[in-house]
This record gives sequence, C-alpha cells and structure tokens, in this order.
Amino acid sequence: MKRFRIDKYRLMELLAPVLGFLASVVVLLIIAGIVGESPGNAIRAILRFTVSNASRLASVFSVAIPLFISGLAVAIAFRAGVFNIGVEGQYIIGGLVGALAGIYLHLPKAIHLPVVVLAAMAGGALWASIPAILKITKGIHEVISTIMFNNIALALVNYLVNGPLSGRGEQSLEPQTRKILSTALFGKLNHWFQAIGLNVPNHVYLDYSLIVAIIMGILVYILLFRMRFGFEIRSVGTSIDVSRYAGIRVKSVQLGVFLISGAVAGLIGTQEIFAIRGHYTFEIASGLGFDGIAIALIGRNSPIGVVFSAILFAFLKQAGYGLQLYTSVPNAIIYMITGLMIIFIVIINEIVTRYIRALRKKEAA
Amino acid sequence: MDLSILVDFLFKGLEISAPIAFAALGAVFSERSGVVNIALEGFMAVTAFTIVWGSIAFQSIWMGLLVAIVSGMIMSLINAVATITYRVDQIVSGVAINIMAIGIGRFLSQNIFNQETQSQLNPYLFPTVFGINSFAFALIPITAICWFVLYKTRFGLRLRAVGENPEAADTLGINVHLMRYAGVTLSGVMCGLAAGVLYPAKWVNGMTGGRGFIALAAMIFGRWHPVGAVLAALLFGYADTFRIMFETKIPIPSQFVQMLPYVLAILVLIGMMGKAKPPAADGIPYEPGE
Amino acid sequence: MSNTLLAMEQITKVFPGVRANDGVSFDLQAGEIHALVGENGAGKTTLMKILYGLQKPDSGTIYLRDRATSIRNPRDAIAQGIGMVHQHFMLVPPFSVLENIVLGEETQTTGVLRMEQPIEKIEQIMNQNGLPVDLKLPVDELPVGLQQRVEILKILYRGAEILVFDEPTAVLTPREVEELFKTFRMMKQQGKGIIFISHKLDEVLNIADRITVIRRGKVIQTLPREDATKAKIAELMVGKPVLLEVKKQAVEPGATILEVRNLRHRGERGHEVLEGTSLTVRAGEIYGIAGVEGNGQSELVQAITEPLKLEGGDILLQGQSILSWDVRTRRDAGIGHIPEDRQRFGLLLPFSLADNLTLGRHHRPPFVKGSQWIDSAKVREYARQTIEAFDIRTPSETTPAHALSGGNQQKAIVAREMSFEPILLVASQPTRGVDIGAQEFIYSQLLEARQNAKAVLLVSADLDEILSLSDRIGVMFKGRIIQELNRAEATREKIGLSMTGGEQSETL
Repeated sequence: MKRFRIDKYRLMELLAPVLGFLASVVVLLIIAGIVGESPGNAIRAILRFTVSNASRLASVFSVAIPLFISGLAVAIAFRAGVFNIGVEGQYIIGGLVGALAGIYLHLPKAIHLPVVVLAAMAGGALWASIPAILKITKGIHEVISTIMFNNIALALVNYLVNGPLSGRGEQSLEPQTRKILSTALFGKLNHWFQAIGLNVPNHVYLDYSLIVAIIMGILVYILLFRMRFGFEIRSVGTSIDVSRYAGIRVKSVQLGVFLISGAVAGLIGTQEIFAIRGHYTFEIASGLGFDGIAIALIGRNSPIGVVFSAILFAFLKQAGYGLQLYTSVPNAIIYMITGLMIIFIVIINEIVTRYIRALRKKEAA
Repeated sequence: MDLSILVDFLFKGLEISAPIAFAALGAVFSERSGVVNIALEGFMAVTAFTIVWGSIAFQSIWMGLLVAIVSGMIMSLINAVATITYRVDQIVSGVAINIMAIGIGRFLSQNIFNQETQSQLNPYLFPTVFGINSFAFALIPITAICWFVLYKTRFGLRLRAVGENPEAADTLGINVHLMRYAGVTLSGVMCGLAAGVLYPAKWVNGMTGGRGFIALAAMIFGRWHPVGAVLAALLFGYADTFRIMFETKIPIPSQFVQMLPYVLAILVLIGMMGKAKPPAADGIPYEPGE
Repeated sequence: MSNTLLAMEQITKVFPGVRANDGVSFDLQAGEIHALVGENGAGKTTLMKILYGLQKPDSGTIYLRDRATSIRNPRDAIAQGIGMVHQHFMLVPPFSVLENIVLGEETQTTGVLRMEQPIEKIEQIMNQNGLPVDLKLPVDELPVGLQQRVEILKILYRGAEILVFDEPTAVLTPREVEELFKTFRMMKQQGKGIIFISHKLDEVLNIADRITVIRRGKVIQTLPREDATKAKIAELMVGKPVLLEVKKQAVEPGATILEVRNLRHRGERGHEVLEGTSLTVRAGEIYGIAGVEGNGQSELVQAITEPLKLEGGDILLQGQSILSWDVRTRRDAGIGHIPEDRQRFGLLLPFSLADNLTLGRHHRPPFVKGSQWIDSAKVREYARQTIEAFDIRTPSETTPAHALSGGNQQKAIVAREMSFEPILLVASQPTRGVDIGAQEFIYSQLLEARQNAKAVLLVSADLDEILSLSDRIGVMFKGRIIQELNRAEATREKIGLSMTGGEQSETL
C-alpha cells in the first residue's frame, strides 16, 4: 500500500514540467494565431524542422550537447546547495584555455585531444575558484560574486582575443585567435551513425563533443551516487546541519563541488570551438550558461533529468527555426516561449508541492 | 585642457551614466525589500523597445515614456508574482525573464517594423539640451525623491524593515508580501525611466549591453543606498565616457575599463573597500506563519 | 470596576498525544506581578501563546477587564492591550531605537514620517516606567539589556496594560536583571499587570506578588508571596515520582573517559552561557545532567561534540584535549551523539534508512572501498542487520527516513550511534517526542552501553528519566554544575530545588 502512495507523489512531481511545456505551447499557438498563422501550420512547421527525418532529429541532439553539459555543470553544484551562476563565465574562460592548448601545444592527436579537454576543464575550474574561495572564507554569496565574474570574463576575453592572442589576418576580420591545430580538432562521428543505418548528413554536428558529454554525464552520475564524496555532496545539499553533525567537512565539499562544476562548465563550448569553428572567438554562443540554470532546474538536478531537459530546450530552439523557415512567425518568439515555460514550470511546481504537503498533512492526522 | 571638451565630457558622462543610475535605483528598492533582482537587464531590454514603439504609436515621447514605464511594471510584476506569491527561486525567475526579454524586442520589432534587429527611427524625442538628451537631467530630482521616499516616509521605513527582518515586520502588522511587490514593481518603473535616457531614437537588438548587471554592481558598490548607487553609476558611466572620448590617448585597453564596475563590486564585497552588508533578508522568500 | 485585568478560566488545549493545558484557570490583577512557574513542557508556553493569539484554546474563556473576549492573532492581542516580550527579540538590527518602536504604528502626514509626536510620547513612557534609552542609537549596537528595554517600550507605546515576559532574565547580566526589576516595580505603580515566566526561584521570590505553579498542563497551586518558600515551590513543580521501573544492575565504574574542566562560553548575544562547567564521566557509568532547559546544557553538549568557541576551560577524552578536533576526528575517536533535535540534526530525511544508518561512518570501511567507492551491498547488509537487532519498524532499509514514525526515527539514531561502538555516548533529550515502547527500548540500550563499559552522558529535561537511569547526577544551573549527587542520595526534592537556584550551601 505504501509503495503505491510514493508513486502517486512522484507522478505529481513530473506534472510540473509536462504541464508547463503544454501551457507554453498553448501560448505559442495563440501568439502564432495573432500573427496570422494557424495553429495547425505552426505545429506542422515545428515538427517538420525537428523530427521529420533522421537529419533533423540529429540536429536537435547536436544542439542539445552543449546545453546538456551546461545543465550538468549547474546541476552538480545545486546538489550541494551551491548556486553556480558563473557557468557563463567559466565556459568562456575554459573554452579559451582549451583553445590555447589546441593552438600552442604540439602533440600527437591521441594525446592532444584529451589534453585540450583537460585544459578546458582546468580553465573553467580556475575561473570558479575565486568565487568559491570567497564563499568559504568570507561567506560571500556565490550568486553575486559569480555574476560579477561572468562579466569580468567577457571583458577579459574580449581584450585577449582582440589583442595579444589575436590571429586576425589569418582568417577573417572577425576578432579571433589563431587556428587550432588539426591534431586538436574534434572529428565527426557521422560515419558511425551512417554505418548503423541512421542517415545523418555531414553538415549536422555529431562530433567528439558528444563523447565528451556522455562521458561527463556518466562520471557525474558515478560521482553522485557511487562515490563517498558524492554522498557528502548530496548530504550537504539536503541539510548543512545534519552534515556537520555527521562530521562531514562542509566547506571542503562546497569548495570541491564548485570546482567540479566549473570544470564541467569549461567544456560547454568545446563543440563550437573544436568541431564547428576551429578557432576561438568571443562571439561563441553566449547565454548557454544561463540556459543551463533553467535546464538543471527543470531536470531536477539529476544527470538523467538534465538529459531530457536539454533535449527539450534543444527542441524548442530548433522549433523556433522551423517556425521562421516555414511560417511567418519569427524565430524570436522562442525566447519568449522558453522564458515563459520556465516560469510556468516553476510556478506549477510550487503549486503541486503545496498540494502534496497539504495531502500529507491530512494523511498524518 | 580645452574647456569646451571638459564641459562636453561632463554632460556626455551624465547622459551615459543615467540609464545605469536609474536601473541601480530600481535595484536598490527591490533588494532593500528583500528581493534579489537579476532581471534588470531583461526589464531594460523590453523598455528600450517599448519607448520607441510607444513614441511612434502615440506620436509623443512622453507617451512613449509612459508605455515604457508600464511595460517595465508588467515585466516586474511577472517576476514579483513568481518569486513572492509562488516563492520561486529569485535567480531562476530572473534568468527566465532575461531569456524572455531577448525575444520580446525582436519579436515585436519584426511584427511592427518588419525588421528583426532594429526598429524604425523615432523622431519624437526629448529636447536636446547642452548637446545631450535632456531627460538625463531628471536623474537628479528623481534620485532626491527616491532618497526621500526610502528614508523619510512610512512606506520607505516599512520597505526597509521587510528587507531586514520580515518576521519582525510581520508581527507588527506590516504586509510583507505587499511591500515586496512594491519594491519589485518600483524596479520595473525605474527601468522604464532608464529607457527614457538610453537611446529613445531607435531600438537596436542587444542595445542594453549588460547595463542591467552594471547597475547591480553599482548598487553593491553604493552599499544599497540610493545616493551611493547613483554615485557609483556615475563613476562607472564617467569612466566609460572617458574611455570613449579619450581612447587613443590612454594606454589602458578599453576592456579593462569595462571590467571596472565588476571588480570594484567584488572588492567591496570582500571588504577591501569598506564593509558592505546587503539587507539581511535579501534573497530569502518569506513564509508567513510557518 | 474591579481590579482584575485578565482572567483565563478553564483553558484546555490538546495536541495529538498530550494535554498541554488542562482546565487551567489564571488571573491577573492591576498593579500585580504574577509569576508563572513550571518545568519545561508543563504548559506555560502554550498558555501564553493562547493569551497572545498564537493558539486558540479548545475550550475555556478569556476575560479582559471582566468582559469575555477572543484573541484572534498577535495584532489583535496588542490591540486589546496585551503585550509580549519574547525570548527572541523582534527587532530590526540596523534601525534606530525610535524607528523600531514606531514601526507599524508610525505617525505620518501624507506618508511622510513625523517623529516629534512619537518622541514626546516615548519620552513620557520612558520617564514613567524607568526605561531610559537613547532613541537615536541603532539597535544592534545596544547591549542585550537595552534591547529588551526597546521591546518593552514597543509594547508600552502601543498601550499595553498586560505585559507578559517569557524568561526575560535568561540573557541578562545580574545588573541588568536589577534594572529590569526596577522597571517592573515602576510599571506596577502605573497600574499595569505583569506576567513573569521563569524557573529561577530567587528572582521569582524577589519580585512576584503571586506565584502560580503549573505541572503537566494543570495548575497545581497559586500562592501569595508571603506563603511561598523555595522548597515549597520546588516541591510543587516536580511533584510525586512517576513509577517507571528500570532494572539496573550494579556495575563497577572504570577509568575516567570524559573530563570537562571549567568551561567558559559566551553566547552570540554576549552573555555568559557556560560559567565554569566541570564534570567527569567514567567508563560503565551514566552521568545524568538535570536542569531546566536553557541553562547551558545544549552548549555543553555542543562543546563536547563539535568545535565551539570557548573563553576558557578544556575538555579531555581519555586524558587528551579534544578542543582542536573537528567533528569527524571526535567521532572517529569514539564520541557518539544522540542529538536533541533529531529532524534538524540527526537524520537526512529524504535519504534512505540505510544511508542514515551509516551517516557519520560512511567514509570508513566497510562502507567504502579504498576511501571513495561506496560498497552499497555492505551498506544494505549492515542496515538490515541493524534494523533487526534494534527492532526498527520499517517496510525496508530503502524506505526514506521521513516515512518512519518519530519513535522509530529515534531508534534508528540510537541504533546507529550504538553500533559504531563509541567510548563516550552523549545522549541529549533522547526520548523527546517518542512513544512508550520506543522509550523503554532506548532506556535499555543506554543501560546496555553502561554495561559494556561505555561512558554515557545523559542530558534530559525529564527528571524522572534522569532518576531512572543515572548513576551520578549533576544539576546544571546558569552554566555551571551547582550540585552533584550519587543516585542513592538523590531525591526529587533536592534536585528540584537545585534546578531552580538551590540553597547556596549545597554548591560544589
């Protein structure tokens, strides 16, 4: 009997993302209607661009890769109660450090690739280390400090890429670094997919960053659920008081998880830098760090949840392009819908939580 | 140095600082009531568009300003409802609104002006005085008003109480939620005013350029005090003006000037430039009677 | 018009499992200081919560100046002239005294604050009641005694005729207590009525006109000051022993395991919480600390189980000072701890019972292989064994801890701490909120620990529990052990007297 009850609550918890998504789709259709597009057309356009064939579907997954890494980075910090909003800055710096390792180090391919990955992680962790230390030594709340560091990172990288590290003249007039050596570039995996019958054309990016993402996901999962440190992370995120009572060194855990989060964040840009572009520019997609916050929340801070959440976000992004391509609805609507969806989901979440709490109280009485 | 250049610098600096200063004032109201507001950037992104739209639609800059203020209030109300009534995490709500705001300007611009990344030119503007948008001068009286409201009125006293010790305020009969709604809404209103002095002549995608975050840095550097925040905003704005006007003459790369606000804010937080204490209940949702 | 400010008649309030107030009748006259005395859990707090509108009585009536009335919430209470000075002040730290007093009750014209009128009124109140404070100072710069004064001014400013003080002297220095009592006397002269909750009988006998003793939800007796002596009140407070037969075998105590020397600790409000606490506990004995809560017991337990900033003294475990050790080191050295608030400190409620049972030892073999890899098979096996051995009622070891009943949660904590084989077990309020069955079980566990030559430090507000289990008893009052007795020579009366301040001649 008791097992059944637990499932009922778990089901209700899943309600929030589903209802939130549906609510925002309704809003999307309404706005599309206002612009003069029928709901049917809008839905057809979206589906056509996202799931109509293997190529499209693969594109969704391709876009999901950096989103997943971002969500993962934020989620692991959240698990310990650390709000790492600095993912945005950490991936800019991490990407730069990785790119530098790819430009200036001369190593055989088999070594160069892991080295750039580690370099990117080191860069991200480095950028996270100062806010982390400020938190545990001075008690400075990480939300404010990491937001400041995000913007410092933007300015810093802007300076570096325009100045000392510039490779301008080699390629184009756009401020960027020199080209990354071929030994460090991420190759594509498309031929593997084609070999097993999924016809993924070569312009869709399913590359080594997919492997990196999968490995990171697995490593984070193992850390959280199979390793002692991961247990302590979850404990600190649940209750600092109890963790302290049990002898867990809370500050060490917070510092460690902050650094790990930064390290993972450093990898967010690897697809764009090492697979798509081949050089580093500060024009690399920004906003992915903030997306990660929403993705982690909707994925309930679990590696598996973040997978679905990232795919959802990627789906939405692609849906926007689909609408732009096949209807008169502009792509920009997707930003509005995404933002709205997040708000719907968290509000519904709160309503459901209150309802569950009331139910539990009634049962106990 | 040429006197006319100095005068030019003084006025230009005011114009450049003003949007940040208005936003920082808004941030002060919000955070003093206990609500962390990282959505200022999003509010401004929307108001920067709506002031252009409103001006053209109603053929008057004042109407445009009104539309901007109302749109700022609407955006801030979304944030308020989510974070106060539904106790959603204030950071997540802020992020969601920032994402939304990116799309709102572009979407509306596409539909109204048929161009996604920029709007039409808006010919209805505030008069130009001393070479700058005269609305910038409104900063001074408005700062004074904000200071007065926060420290000399009953409303201000209660607002500050709610941000420091909402429990105590509650036991004394003050409606904590209402006060916080007021604080957040005021930040939206202020972002409407900021649009008045940013660049009402034309909307361009991304024109807010991170000013919402600089405003946060200004608030911290100004130690959550309205006058302090405005002075900090002026400092940052003038530093940037200096960079723009004298870029070729100084050896410091422009990006380091851009970093300045954030570095200063961090130093303040560390305590290297005097202790900064945010309102004690900042960022913590209030649960009455629990 | 009569002089009766307040009459509470036949107030009853029942919570699940306990009658907090059982037909309590209590009255307060104008110009009277009426003390309310009783042990923890006796029902004083509930009664005052009802008076202040934080709770509704199940039955009974409240009369204010002979008119029956209902009090819906604290704002209502203030409006009807009842003011309460809580133990934890409700002040806005950076605001000035003046701002704190007028907040919520401000005088204004079109929204702009007008302070002249309030200042005048407050100064009048300050003079009439002997409560001088500098209105301009920010409240967080004031010493505790003055902060309390601000709280008093707040309620007087709002026209309180009935003032309730809940343990007001807990955080005050002796001089501040004198000042407070001066204020009481002046307020008396103003015709106000004061309800004074305290367990410090010296103070009660000093200032009160009448004393009401409450025990287990009932009023035992209301006496006028002339008829009261410390001994009599203490007797009324602790009453007759409750028969809880616990079989204790004779055990010869061994070496000293724990030695606490002269601990001095200042609380966050700057007042002395531990003032030279000393005690020793030997292997194979249970040392029970008796005393009303709030006399430093929690801080003493804290000092033993975790690093705490001390102004003086030392704590030795088997002769070694542990002051510099962090929690993990103390646990590894063999200190086990049953915390007084199990939900806040003892259990990770969303985690499984198995995880909770290894908490504190989760970092050591056999639960981990090579310091990082969790061996979940061993964890589950150990959990299953422990659940069976300690008879914890749960569907399985994977059930989340919040699904267990209070008694089983406590059993789980006891099981965990016991099975880590500590050399010193610190048990703080171990049977609070626990059903009779679990309570008996926990007692047997503590006795078994004693049997196995462990040292047990038992802290409890339940005097019967102390008397049933302890070999030696120390009474804690105002941050010191003021009396130490062997079980044989201990009686309820002696201990009850010490708990409330005692006779000076019996101090250590």
